Amino acid sequence: MSIRLQLLIVALTTLILPWAGCQYARELETALRVSQERALEASADTIAHALAAEPQRVFRDVADAAPFAQNEGDIYVFPLHGQPLLDGYREDWDVPADPKTLPSEGGHAARLQVGSTERYLFLYLEVDDPHIVAEPLSPHPEDRFDRVNLTVERPGGARETYFFATGAPGLIQAQTVIKGADGIDRAASEPRIQAFWLQTSRGYHLEARVPLSLVGPRLWIQALDSTGGKSGYAPLESAPGGRLFMATPGLDDLLGTFIRPGTRATVVDASGLKLGVAGAVGESESGEEDEAGGTWYRRFVTVDTSAWPLQVISAERINGTGVAAALAGRPAAEWLRTGGGQELVLLAAAPLPVGEQVHGAVVLEQGGDQLLELRDRALTHLFNLTLLATALAVLFAFSVATVISLRIGRLRSAADAAVGNDGSIRLDMPESARADEIGALARGFERLLSRLNEHTQYLRTLGGKLAHELRTPLTIVRSSLDNLESEGVRADQRGYLTRAREGVSRLQSILSALGAAARVEESIKQAERVNFDLRELLRSAVAGYRDAFAAARFELDTPHDACFMHGAPDLIVQLLDKLIENAVDFCPPSGIIAVRLARSGSNYEISVANDGPPIPPEMLERLFESLFEHRQGHDDKPHFGLGLYIVRLIAEFHDGKALAANRADGDGAVFTVILPMI
Amino acid sequence: MKRHIAIVEDEPALRDNYAAALARHGYLVKTYGNRKLAMQAFGTRLPDLAIIDISLEDEAEGGFDLCRDLRALSAELPIIFLTARDSELDAVSGLRLGADDFLTKDVSLPHLAARVAALFRRIDALRRPDNAGEVVRRGALVIDAEKMQTTWNGSPVVLSLTEFWIVHALARNPGHVKNRQQLMDAANVVLDDNTITSHVKRLRRKFLEVDPAFDAIQTVYGMGYRWLE
Repeated sequence: MSIRLQLLIVALTTLILPWAGCQYARELETALRVSQERALEASADTIAHALAAEPQRVFRDVADAAPFAQNEGDIYVFPLHGQPLLDGYREDWDVPADPKTLPSEGGHAARLQVGSTERYLFLYLEVDDPHIVAEPLSPHPEDRFDRVNLTVERPGGARETYFFATGAPGLIQAQTVIKGADGIDRAASEPRIQAFWLQTSRGYHLEARVPLSLVGPRLWIQALDSTGGKSGYAPLESAPGGRLFMATPGLDDLLGTFIRPGTRATVVDASGLKLGVAGAVGESESGEEDEAGGTWYRRFVTVDTSAWPLQVISAERINGTGVAAALAGRPAAEWLRTGGGQELVLLAAAPLPVGEQVHGAVVLEQGGDQLLELRDRALTHLFNLTLLATALAVLFAFSVATVISLRIGRLRSAADAAVGNDGSIRLDMPESARADEIGALARGFERLLSRLNEHTQYLRTLGGKLAHELRTPLTIVRSSLDNLESEGVRADQRGYLTRAREGVSRLQSILSALGAAARVEESIKQAERVNFDLRELLRSAVAGYRDAFAAARFELDTPHDACFMHGAPDLIVQLLDKLIENAVDFCPPSGIIAVRLARSGSNYEISVANDGPPIPPEMLERLFESLFEHRQGHDDKPHFGLGLYIVRLIAEFHDGKALAANRADGDGAVFTVILPMI
Repeated sequence: MKRHIAIVEDEPALRDNYAAALARHGYLVKTYGNRKLAMQAFGTRLPDLAIIDISLEDEAEGGFDLCRDLRALSAELPIIFLTARDSELDAVSGLRLGADDFLTKDVSLPHLAARVAALFRRIDALRRPDNAGEVVRRGALVIDAEKMQTTWNGSPVVLSLTEFWIVHALARNPGHVKNRQQLMDAANVVLDDNTITSHVKRLRRKFLEVDPAFDAIQTVYGMGYRWLE
């Protein structure tokens, strides 16, 4: 794994920051929720205590704390906002609840909904009576027709029964039965109670309006069919029921004084029925859904609310554990999901005591979205900042890593190239001036290389030194042999002398070869450069070689015009000598040695190709090293591989190079020297 | 009267071998191990010829100093450097200090003796004014083989013995190419090719000092050199 990748991974660990931020945000959110709960609870409690001081403004009947019992005919009266038209339809009531089905005794299915404005009580009754029997024009008490009975308990306690019947649909008035002086019941209109009779395909609708002044705490309504079937409730003397549970007049306004915008306050009675409502839960006024970027990481941060209870929306009552707890005497708060589970509502409920008893509860609802928005803003900031920080950290780490790996790479390639093919050592390392570890590494390399260089130098000069040191004892031996010969030896001893001389002479040629490299290097240093014609030099040299090596056949191929170059002709000749000697050594008798001069770009190429054994490929690179000998020549002369080393030295002195290769046909070798023209 | 030769050489075995060989040729040989001993002796009496090694005991270039001191004592005394050091630089330095020849220790004893004899012959010839020895004339060049003297356009060209023999070999057969081996044989020295090359180079320079237009020694690449008339 590269350093760059490693540091990148290290840098990525800064992603822990946003993660920690998320955790923090969650805890923050939880804490905020709790504090919001407490605050709302406290508000609810405060309102409850304020209301408890004036129970008569809250409850229509403070004394009656019996719970709502629908099956006994208790009726919830929806508060109506605005005056509905008497038209037989309840759509303009704006009550988000369906009419309640009434019990039936052989009658048709009937449904009732009751609402009230400040002055009127509105009744809406649907009866699925497929066969409507209209009231005769002059009704007789025995006449059977479809009608609706309405019994009202007046504020004083007296009960009055009205009935609605019609011969034709339309606006009608309630009628009441008056016992005439003749003892005969007669129907009389009650103009204060108006109604609209609407006939539909399923039956009829009756929408009635009763002034509140006529209405006391109880009311019964019953649909009577012409066949005698009954639906609804009839007033009974002893039985409870028929009580009207309705918003207390003025309570909404009273509540309105307690609340702040964005909060809805509801007072419920002991059954959880709404007595008064004020305010509205703050809609998330951010219709402009958070910027696209803000939403995706919300899911990382948000406390998981999907398991929280959904708020049960009911027009007449508030349910839930919070309200239940408050009605049991304990203030409570709970979070509910609403609006399809997307939004949150905080609901706080406080008991509303009247004396020792809990008669109801004050419920405050507040949107959780403000909180969310607050948190989201903070989080978006946090997120953006940490992401920016992470990006910067990654970028920084990446660039540091890039720089480091570049430096190491530079050092590595320098180390790779430090020791050349020819054994030369470059001592200066990049980066060694830097103070850090890489610099120390570079300096370490430099020390290593300089030691290596010293050793190489020692080895390189060892041959020359050895030759020099051996020369004196050799001279002693040879001069002693000379003396011995001059003194005269016996004929039978002469053989030994000759052999000793041969040995000495071989030793001497070895030593002179050993020292030759050093001498060549020295003479190269002193060489003078002149302009000369390489072609002419080659022609004259090859002519010389033809004389010198009569056994070999030379071929010469040169350009047609003069080839001037700037250099040391003596050295070039020496270079040729070595190449030719080498070629002659390996060229079989009657083999051909082809010398060729050609232009190649801004260089001259001198190549000497000879018939003979090919060079093992692994040797090609090393041929030009000092004292490297690879092949066995034809003669007995010692070969120390200095010839090709000298070729290389001379080529390099001319800023050129020497190459060795095997001939394409594999039947010989080609040595090429490339020399720049200038 | 026997010729008196001084050998200054710090290697006793070599010293004795040289001494024995030269003594066999009829010379009176005195040997010295270092510069100090040699100078003491020379202060008393100068030899007829001095053979000096360059490095003497702990003096790496003691031979050069000795040569300079000797030359101060006598301008004519023939001096031969005989050394294991064979670098071009050493040869140039030695000859510049006024040595008459520069031989490496590869030289065989007979060769050495021949050299010594040749030097004495040159000195004898110089001392004989009525000389009618073998003279080679090639245009501006006059070589007196007896005195081992060379003149170009009448101006003397001072050559070392090796240089003299090289010029002599070349000028005797103008136009003939002499390869390096032939030149070495003529000069009675064992040298490698490079040394021959540098000898020739130095020869040309000496002639050029006398005549800037000198162009008589031609290099025949791959073969050797020839004298152009």
